[in-house]
Amino acid sequence: MIRITIDGKTTNVREGTTIWEAAQQAGVEIPVLCHDPRLRPVGVCRVCVVELGDGRIAPACVRTCEPDMAVRTATERIEQHRAMLLRLLLAEHPLPCDAGRIGSCELERLGQRYGLVDQDGRVADPVLRRLRGLFLTARPKDLTSPVISVDHSACILCDRCIRACDEVQCNDVIGRSGKGHGTQIAFDLDVPMGNSSCVACGECAQACPTGALMDKTLTQIDGSIHRLEVIPSVCPYCGVGCTVDYLKDADRIVAARGRRGPGSDGRLCVKGRYGWDYTLHPHRLRVPLIRKEAYYPKRPLTTASSGGGKPSRHPLANPVPDYERALEAFREATWDEALDLIAERLAEIKKRHGSSALAGFGSAKCSNEEAYLFQKFIRAVLGTNNVDHCTRLCHASSVAALLECIGSGAVTNVYRDVERSDLILVTGSNTIENHPVAATFFKQAARRGKKLLVVDPRRPRLADYATWYCQILPGSDVAFYNALMHVIIRDELYDREFVRRRTEAFEALEATVQHYPPERAAGLCGIAPELIEEIARAIGRARAMLIFWGMGISQHTHGTDNARCLISLCLLTGNVGRPGTGLHPLRGQNNVQGASDAGLIPMVYPDYQPVGNEEVRRKFETAWGVSLDPKPGLTVVEIMNAAHEGAIKGMLMMGENPFLSDPNVNKVREALANLDFLAVQDIFLTETAEFADVVLPSASFFEKTGTYTNTDRRVQLGRPVLPPPGQARPDWEILTELFNRMGYSCSYSGPEEIFLEFAALTRSYRGLTYEALGTDGKVWPVPEPDSPEQPVLFADRFPTGSGRGRFVPCHYAPPAELPDAEFPLVLNTGRVLVHWHTGTMTRRSEPLDALCPEPYVEINPADALALDIETGMQVQVSSRRGSIVLKAIVTDRVPQRSVFIPFHFREAAANLLTIDALDPYGKIPEYKFCAVRVEPLGTRDE
Amino acid sequence: MNLIGQIAKLRAIRPHYTEADLRELARQLQVPEHRIQELVSFYPHLQPLPKGAQLFQVCTDVACLLRGACELLERVVADVRAGRCPEAAVRPCHCLGRCDTAPAVLLNETPHRVRFDRSGAALDCEPIMRSPHEGQDWQLNPHRGSPPYEVFLKWRDNPTAFRAYAIGELERAGLRGMGGAGFPTARKWKAVAEANGSPKYVICNADESEPGTFKDRELLGRFPEAVIEGILVAALAVDASQGIVFIRHEYEPEAAVLDEAIESARARGLLGANAFGPARPFDIELVRSPGGYILGEETALLEALEGRRGEPRNRPPYPATHGLYGRPTLINNVETLVAAAAILARGADWWLGLGRNGAHGLKLVSVSGDVARPQVCEVELGTPVREIIERCGGVSGSGKLKAFAPGGVSSAWLPPEAADVPYDFESLRSAGSMLGSGGLIVLAEGAPIGDVALSICRFFAEESCGKCVPCRMGTAQVVRLLETVQEDPAQELPPAFLRDLAATLKETSICGLGQVALDGLLSLLQLFPDEVLKRTDRGARSGGNGSRSREGSGG
Repeated sequence: MIRITIDGKTTNVREGTTIWEAAQQAGVEIPVLCHDPRLRPVGVCRVCVVELGDGRIAPACVRTCEPDMAVRTATERIEQHRAMLLRLLLAEHPLPCDAGRIGSCELERLGQRYGLVDQDGRVADPVLRRLRGLFLTARPKDLTSPVISVDHSACILCDRCIRACDEVQCNDVIGRSGKGHGTQIAFDLDVPMGNSSCVACGECAQACPTGALMDKTLTQIDGSIHRLEVIPSVCPYCGVGCTVDYLKDADRIVAARGRRGPGSDGRLCVKGRYGWDYTLHPHRLRVPLIRKEAYYPKRPLTTASSGGGKPSRHPLANPVPDYERALEAFREATWDEALDLIAERLAEIKKRHGSSALAGFGSAKCSNEEAYLFQKFIRAVLGTNNVDHCTRLCHASSVAALLECIGSGAVTNVYRDVERSDLILVTGSNTIENHPVAATFFKQAARRGKKLLVVDPRRPRLADYATWYCQILPGSDVAFYNALMHVIIRDELYDREFVRRRTEAFEALEATVQHYPPERAAGLCGIAPELIEEIARAIGRARAMLIFWGMGISQHTHGTDNARCLISLCLLTGNVGRPGTGLHPLRGQNNVQGASDAGLIPMVYPDYQPVGNEEVRRKFETAWGVSLDPKPGLTVVEIMNAAHEGAIKGMLMMGENPFLSDPNVNKVREALANLDFLAVQDIFLTETAEFADVVLPSASFFEKTGTYTNTDRRVQLGRPVLPPPGQARPDWEILTELFNRMGYSCSYSGPEEIFLEFAALTRSYRGLTYEALGTDGKVWPVPEPDSPEQPVLFADRFPTGSGRGRFVPCHYAPPAELPDAEFPLVLNTGRVLVHWHTGTMTRRSEPLDALCPEPYVEINPADALALDIETGMQVQVSSRRGSIVLKAIVTDRVPQRSVFIPFHFREAAANLLTIDALDPYGKIPEYKFCAVRVEPLGTRDE
Repeated sequence: MNLIGQIAKLRAIRPHYTEADLRELARQLQVPEHRIQELVSFYPHLQPLPKGAQLFQVCTDVACLLRGACELLERVVADVRAGRCPEAAVRPCHCLGRCDTAPAVLLNETPHRVRFDRSGAALDCEPIMRSPHEGQDWQLNPHRGSPPYEVFLKWRDNPTAFRAYAIGELERAGLRGMGGAGFPTARKWKAVAEANGSPKYVICNADESEPGTFKDRELLGRFPEAVIEGILVAALAVDASQGIVFIRHEYEPEAAVLDEAIESARARGLLGANAFGPARPFDIELVRSPGGYILGEETALLEALEGRRGEPRNRPPYPATHGLYGRPTLINNVETLVAAAAILARGADWWLGLGRNGAHGLKLVSVSGDVARPQVCEVELGTPVREIIERCGGVSGSGKLKAFAPGGVSSAWLPPEAADVPYDFESLRSAGSMLGSGGLIVLAEGAPIGDVALSICRFFAEESCGKCVPCRMGTAQVVRLLETVQEDPAQELPPAFLRDLAATLKETSICGLGQVALDGLLSLLQLFPDEVLKRTDRGARSGGNGSRSREGSGG
């Protein structure tokens, strides 16, 4: 510790503490402009200068404390310098700038404090007035970005945006261009922001102290920003679950700001920061709807849902084609009429065909409370375990493998623990686009010298930061990982002690991977044997490795095998249960972890308690006061198949849109049309709702209270920001109505009561209350209110019968549908940064839709050349199941002989093409591999 | 090769490169595009050359201004317009280190000498290949009367003893840095020698760019072996394994000479894998500056060497402990290294035996401006300024001294009464100025004080890197203020403001550039308050709201 005095106050600080930090500790405020505690200090604005004991002057933000330093922070001399520096900056600053206009310009605020500008923003200093006359031409504005306005005249070159972009988000877009007084911030090679490689995360705007970089929405508000209500909540999009403060003006959200917390640390991506406006879209459902008689028998209502033909080009104002045509099929109804109809029809089917003719899809977009209540409704009221949700489509195979090998389906460590890893393996995950904020921590870790191994057939942008990038052949994961383990065992680089004490069936693994020497595996996975050897040695020698994976691992017919290999690799090298180690399947939806925890799965009750276990079933029968079906239910694709065959006759959908998200959409369409009865609760009239008999308007994420569990197992509280539109109601309220109308009497005072009921039936959530969650949330398991948080699980034993982790070796097997002469290319599907799943939310967000308005297919330059295809050309992509028309983009991000299509776009639904072949264990469809053909249509899209 | 080198390479192959070329370079090297933009927009010698035209640059700093630089500029512009000479992009630029042949010009980035043809016929413009002062020998030359590298060879195998000897002798001699700051050399060597970390670096700062300063140019071009030996002995003393000469781009003729000398030293085994004995490598890399006065600032120089914008670092930590790539680094000026080699060859007593009026040692003074024969003078420290001017043939023009700046445009101007002040660190400081870079600029009675003042202010504004607020904003606003006052006699300078601003610049700027940027102006205002506010026609250079549109130093 170092002892220093600041303005006469003595304080002890750790070595390396800056004077500014020490002053903060001592409660002395030193003004700053270029400094932000989240960023590396640069000491360029000089406003933080202080006087040292010997009369010398030092910038407090960069100067570290020395023993017995005597610091004076506000001597007359210092204050004069500060006033002069502010004068120089204000001389060329718009008064007010866009931020100043709403009271958030830090420069103008300091100017007022130093008497240079009065409270109304008028110049109050004669020298400043004189200086302001010197420069008559203002620097330009750049309004080309859909979300951020750039005003170079307000910029003070504090470097905060640059550090935010380059060092926090590692997006590497902003720099300084020019020299001296002519210097300006610049994007890429000094191109307009909207034309640059900017991914619109808005970290720069959040970091900017003036109006130089600002959320466009904030430039449009009236009055002071300080009068806005700030609501602490979380982000509704992905499983990273960033903590967000929403700024509310009357009944509109006007901005979202990252709030610092143990997970996302205040960072956001483009969707979280700018994608909230969908909730205010005019398409929102406001009243219950009942299908008109004229629209029976059910048929597709729009070209999008008819599964063929080229949709009419849409104007930007209406990014969802043919929406009005779909609405025409419905008439408005009262809540009572709609709810009674649902209750009556579901009861009728149950009576006539039995409970197993009913099914329900919940959603990983709904809260834990709603997921719990939904599965309780399906199980306790409809009497079936046919309840599932989109987890089946993302990590079902990962969970199956995890449960089998280590006895727990959740992550064993949190994403931010990469800070303590020395090797990070990211495989089958386009993290930068799909988990953007988690990716910032990976990028940062790589920049700080940690080894990053990226494995993916389609080159993800994360590969640019990687130590090694392996572009394996599609579907060859097992061969690649078996080869790594082959080398690790052969060279005795595995953790003998860990394998001996903590695992079982090592011999089986050894026997299997023996067949995968790098030379042989190279032929299967396309990675050179030397590189396999090098990487295997690095993994074997790593002190701490964390593995992250995504849909590229799980969405295969052998997805469970892929995950088993990753688990084996971790067990083999002893990389579980310690800081910086672990297995982390990156969860997709904001609440896919929670929805699964809450029992939205056909074979388990809440907290993964098997429905087949008699003791467990009794527990739930007692709790719910009904007898329950002992037979596990059907999964998502099985339910659709059953509907197709007529075995399932009635369904309730809560926030799920299988029409676009399930594989082989043409079959889904037939299945949905084939249902006797379909009720949908949603915020928009989705493609699925077009087949509904009754559609109920739900409250959106922003309109209700509820908890959401992110990829880290962190349970966080979402708070209402806005009232629901029209008659829309939260899903839990709708469900309560249905319970009562179907003879199961229940009432809840609010979501927390549901939460407590759910938590009490689990071990993982038992100790939690809303109050305990606070604004930072809590990582489960929390069996008791005072349980310590455990980001790293399984330090001593695994929750398996034997307490050991189990090796489950697998052999390489080819994908279900291999390319042939007729369909010579491999189709890979996935997501893009600015869009979310079926696009119901993001395509109704003006900024997000502006950033990526239309569907496209990525094709390798060599294939494009052979097919005579150029970027921008319309092409037809066909598989055995359907065909779509969309724009081609020629890029070497996809390997030769393969194409990539994002699945968000209803007018060119990628899932018309995908195959509904399933992984035998996880029942997950093979979205990542099917055979297609691409043909140019010869028209250039201009 | 760092990114600056990569861009320089691209420019060498494609002098008129386009944005697409830069994009491709970023892709190939896998660096963010903004990093390339940061560099090409900062460094003049990375910018693309004008297509289909010669590039003609004229220095307009004080010495050249006094010798008709502005008239030359106008003349060439007119000639190009009238088709009397080949198509050319004509640009003003800052000091080229050739104040002795003012007005200094660069034609396609090569230094040229221009002779006025009063008849109006074509200009005579020939490349400068050799020093105009060849033949003079200097006492400072450590190899005068003895073969090169004697000191180094004598001590090479005994570095520990040499370290003690070298630091002791330099301390006893009281040698101070000749680059501008005058920091005691022995203390610097000692700090680097004692610093933990390896490798250690020795950098010879040959980025001489202060207007009115060209003495290092002479040493580099005429005594390259003395420079190399200076680096060798410094490296031996501090235990460095890599030497770098960072030379300004405009000293290409001198760089070629030095290159040759380095090559022959390498051939002799003085550099290379076994330079300091078996398996004890040492070598010298010659790095050409991508341009800019600021790179003479030692930490800006380090940033440039690391491939970034030349923006000075906050100190502490200092380069002695955290220098190039965070390693201990000794950075000395060319003259300092040569002087050190000479002292270590002849002993501190030799150095102490030189000097007058209580000062000790030798000094190279670059004399320019209104003198009959501008040149580099070797003088004993403490020699009265008047004598130095006399050695250059006395004041030219009116013949009457009006003012002089003893240490380049960073130093305060002194009146004729101060001409008897001994030329040494302490005396000049007492007189209210400084020895600085040793660039003595002389103004004769009749010199355009307003133009000189504006040219100095523009120099600092345009050479400011822009990193810190006081320097970036302060220097530019002073230029505009002075311009408006000179344009409109009804306007006044707010005098207290300039004084306060100068104090803020001095105490809050990150580096020396900003700290001294207003000293010249303030001293001229004190000496000639009325004249500063007047501008002659030749001061009215192109550029209106000037500073944003102009090129940096060295074209």
